[in-house]
Amino acid sequence: MTSPPDPVRVMVVDDHPVWRDGVRTDLEASGVAVVVAEAGDGGPAIELARTAKPEVVLMDLNLPTVSGTAAIKQIVEEAPHVKVLVLSASAEEPDVLEAVKLGAAGYLLKSATRAELADAVLRVRAGEPVFTASLAGLVLAEFRRIAAPGSTSGPSEPTLTPRENEILRLVAKGYTYREIADKLVISVKTVQNHVQNILTKLHLRRRYELMRYAIQRGLDRAPDLD
Amino acid sequence: MVKAAPPPDEPASAAARHDAERGPVVLSLGVVAVRWVALVWMVALALTVGHFRHPRLAWAAIAVTALWTLWRSLSRAGSQASPWNLAGDLLIGAGLAVLSGTVAPIGQMAGERAFFATVYPVTAALSWGLAWGVGGGLCAGAVLALALVGSRTANSIALDTLTGGQLANLSSGVINYLLAGGVVGFVARLLQRSAVQVRAADQAAMQALQEAARLAEREALAREIHDSVLQTLALLHKRGRELAGQPTVPSAEVARLAELAGSQESALRSLILRPHSVPTAPDASSASLRGALEGVAHGIDGVPVTVSTVGPVWLPAATVEELAAAVTQALHNVAEHASASRATVFAELDEQGEVTVTVRDDGAGFRYDEQALRADGSIGLLRSMKGRVEQLGGTMRVDTAPGAGTEVEFRLPPPRHLAVQQ
Repeated sequence: MTSPPDPVRVMVVDDHPVWRDGVRTDLEASGVAVVVAEAGDGGPAIELARTAKPEVVLMDLNLPTVSGTAAIKQIVEEAPHVKVLVLSASAEEPDVLEAVKLGAAGYLLKSATRAELADAVLRVRAGEPVFTASLAGLVLAEFRRIAAPGSTSGPSEPTLTPRENEILRLVAKGYTYREIADKLVISVKTVQNHVQNILTKLHLRRRYELMRYAIQRGLDRAPDLD
Repeated sequence: MVKAAPPPDEPASAAARHDAERGPVVLSLGVVAVRWVALVWMVALALTVGHFRHPRLAWAAIAVTALWTLWRSLSRAGSQASPWNLAGDLLIGAGLAVLSGTVAPIGQMAGERAFFATVYPVTAALSWGLAWGVGGGLCAGAVLALALVGSRTANSIALDTLTGGQLANLSSGVINYLLAGGVVGFVARLLQRSAVQVRAADQAAMQALQEAARLAEREALAREIHDSVLQTLALLHKRGRELAGQPTVPSAEVARLAELAGSQESALRSLILRPHSVPTAPDASSASLRGALEGVAHGIDGVPVTVSTVGPVWLPAATVEELAAAVTQALHNVAEHASASRATVFAELDEQGEVTVTVRDDGAGFRYDEQALRADGSIGLLRSMKGRVEQLGGTMRVDTAPGAGTEVEFRLPPPRHLAVQQ
């Protein structure tokens, strides 16, 4: 991968100024990105995404008033070309899966190194999904939940093909796209396409969930006005 | 992020609330019963008393009253107090009272005998009292009383010619209507108020319980933070200052401080996330393999370790312990020999109940040749890992080549470890 000539325009969203400073320093020292905006909450982040026109948003999920997931939903709806990379403290947060379902292009642990962060920012701008091993585990669990007997999902909901399942398992085991490509004797581009398809299916699942929710609520009686 | 949840019900207070809310329902059923008794009484009187000035009008009135009684008995509890129903009650009640005078032989209403249509109107006072309390009951009672007075006029009786006994008869009718409406209104309000009070007391008790639980949890949290996190922070503070004062700072010292801070970061996080994200075991004898592996990963120095699992992977505690021990050995091996940039531990329990755990690194790899391994002494570790897994009825597989990293895979078949349903 050759480094593009112009640095990536990045917005950093985190409620800790010290953390934002650290990310700004790391990114600008690496030369791959400039931080064009910083926000400490979801509301200002939505606003700044409109005015500062970042290409990549680095988003923390734990924000004081408007949550990271809510901000991601709004930003991705308004400007689908803006890529959101979730930077979260723990992979165990259920919000991480939710954020990716809502349209985040990837997810990185806050403990990632400076080089990993810079690389992830470049890859996300180039349209590649950034999956970590632990996110792949969460996604596998999510698709397995659908396939499980007794699940409430309809038969038409997207599930993984055997190939996608195989690739996702390899990502979960810690293989890079390059290593997966070598192992399966396919191109890196094909691996990326598969991962992109998995993400798309995840976004579709989110729509189905909303629909199911709406139907259930519709059948329910009106809320008590007590 | 607060999710709205229905408040949990305390069984005892829920029962009390139920009783309190049943009062008004019982009362309104009582009014329905009174309607039917009054209707039967009306028909009985009409049959026994006999001669009417306008028999058709009298029987039409009885038919309308019967239909109305049927309608009011069938209308749902929610619409009992609808303005249309209440207006109908009052119209029928007052109408029957006036009609009594119209159909009865001239002058008979002045007598002391009960007339066929003077009992049913009381139900209008009852339903008004039920719906609108004392005021409503008295209002309806007053309208009915006026109608009763009107019935004398309709019966061609001049009010100023009434004898004392006849006047007392009329007055007692008026008082009956007023009293019925007022008393039922009073009782209905009393019941309603007690239902509201029970509900409020119930809510207050619930809030107090929740508050107590929150406080207890906060105290436990504070204790744990004090015991581990605060102590470590104090140490970091002290060591950091000391280091800042030294002319040259040994990098190992800084690394140790970072390590300390990192360990407390994850300790603190697990405290914060505990009530929400730590799933409870399906039974007492099972443990989360993910939890155990995260603990193992945290204890490894020399290589960053990522843990990725498909769900929490609940297994019998003894199995989790053995698998964690095998993974620990594999990770130590990676840290010491592989010169890898990172290692990943992956675990899943598939639909058939088979458990797969892999330890994968991107390091130097090696030629998997038992002869050569025995020669340089690394065979012991592999044997030990293999032994642990085979004791659980499982298998170990090593996939490696020079320059290609290493993947060690442990597999446990379903029957031996008795998978716990997730």
